[in-house]
Amino acid sequence: MTAAISVEKLTKRYGVHAAVDDVSFEVARGEVVGFLGPNGAGKSTTLRILVGFLGATSGRARIEGHDVVDDPDAARSALGYMPEAVPLYPEMRVREYLRFRAELKGVGRAARVSAVGRAMDLARIKDVADTLIEHLSKGYRQRVGLADALVSDPRVLVLDEPTAGMDPNQIREVRDLIKSLGGEHTVLLSTHILPEVEASCARVVVIDKGRLVAEGKPGELARLRTPPRLEVIVRGTWKAAVARVAEVKLLDSRTEGDVEHLTLETPMDEDDRATAAEKLVEALVADGVRIRSVAAGKATLEEVFTALTSEEKVEEVAT
Amino acid sequence: MRGFWPIFKRELFAYFVTPLAFVLILAFVFWQGLHFYLLVRSFAQATEASIDQGPVQAFFGGDVFYYLPLILICPAITMRLFAEERRSGTIETLLTTPVSSVGVVLAKFTAAMVAYLAMWAPTLLYIVIMKRAGDIDWRVVGTSYLGVLGVGAQYIALGTMMSAVARSQLVALILSSIVILGFFLLGLGEFVLDEGPARELCAYMSVWSQMGELSKGIVDSRRLVLDGSLTLFPLFVTNRLVDAWRWG
Repeated sequence: MTAAISVEKLTKRYGVHAAVDDVSFEVARGEVVGFLGPNGAGKSTTLRILVGFLGATSGRARIEGHDVVDDPDAARSALGYMPEAVPLYPEMRVREYLRFRAELKGVGRAARVSAVGRAMDLARIKDVADTLIEHLSKGYRQRVGLADALVSDPRVLVLDEPTAGMDPNQIREVRDLIKSLGGEHTVLLSTHILPEVEASCARVVVIDKGRLVAEGKPGELARLRTPPRLEVIVRGTWKAAVARVAEVKLLDSRTEGDVEHLTLETPMDEDDRATAAEKLVEALVADGVRIRSVAAGKATLEEVFTALTSEEKVEEVAT
Repeated sequence: MRGFWPIFKRELFAYFVTPLAFVLILAFVFWQGLHFYLLVRSFAQATEASIDQGPVQAFFGGDVFYYLPLILICPAITMRLFAEERRSGTIETLLTTPVSSVGVVLAKFTAAMVAYLAMWAPTLLYIVIMKRAGDIDWRVVGTSYLGVLGVGAQYIALGTMMSAVARSQLVALILSSIVILGFFLLGLGEFVLDEGPARELCAYMSVWSQMGELSKGIVDSRRLVLDGSLTLFPLFVTNRLVDAWRWG
């Protein structure tokens, strides 16, 4: 079976500067994949090449097996794309705009009204159907862009920062929507906001400075890259006890009233981690420190991301 | 040609839903109204009437009133076609749908032509008024409007190209006005230069002579070929530019 999205050794150079450097990845049918990287990492450039808005210096990109250069119409027909800035025509009403887009994408006259209705339902913009786009808030514009990507019911969706500028409720709705699209649709969404990937993606591709730095399940990446944490809440003088346990490293401590919240780094290995926790509790008890809670901290993708993309670690974690 | 029809409809919609088309039509009709009024006064005072210097000839290119608005209004019609899409970024959503570059360019050009012709439509009323005062040869009126179409097509095509060259509407407006003015002045070389190849060239390029002939009912195929070439060449360049954005 051909992959829904396949990117092969993609490189885009501007002079000597490589915006995208030898990037390869695949997205299987029905998969929801997050394309992660800090600003300026080459996310949008890669996506633009993928949707056929930019030519690559070398390498290939295919949508549903159609090469975006050799067979652009077939590739574009299978595609719903939402660019980062969500450019829209301000003088049109939402419904007019979506009808225009549906017609452009080859949705037949008979199917157009229902296609527009369905897209507006999914993106939850029915209430602004007859509003001029120029009067819409940023969050609504974003959702109009999403409805536009969905209007031709494409098999592949490429969304560049789909939740930028939305309020928390809207973000949750959009994440749920994206999740629900998986299975039937293939979704590649770019973001620099990590919880987004954790919330809606089954797999993540990490890019930095134009290079692919990691690939895997959000959870896997997290376990793979950051040493597990221990969150300890204590009362009393804890410093000496913690210092005695060589296996743990104090990362952070904050005081709330007479209670101290400690974040400690523990060894990567699971057995070592357990031993370290035992030793720490022993040491704290020996010093008469009162322990209120000991919990395994979950490393967020945010931290993984910093670890992955910080200069010295890039080579070692590259997959 | 894929994508022609929806883009054409949207462009026309954009002209007539924003006040641009109406402002241009209003300005143009006001200008031509003044032109017509001056002609009527002048012909009312004339003692002798000549067959090939009637009011129709005077109205269609007999004086500078015909050319001046074209130099400004054609670029104003075309300035937003591509410049605005590039400024706002909508060019990205447009070109990532399964449309052909030729379809995009022709749709925009055709919509601008329709707006241009809509601008001329009210002038038919003047012909009707002239008909009340005397005889009108409808074939001559037909060839005159053919001239309007031919000259308009090349100016609109040139403006379309400039709108794709420049990123801002204002720059597109200025560039196309300058080039159209340049072509117009080049044509005037016919009346200024001495006998020779330079004058021949100017005479061939002259819109003034072209309109002079057409408004007398003379259809010279060389003029039409020139109009056609000057329309197709900018459109060809525009098509290449659109392709370049897609694959640059």
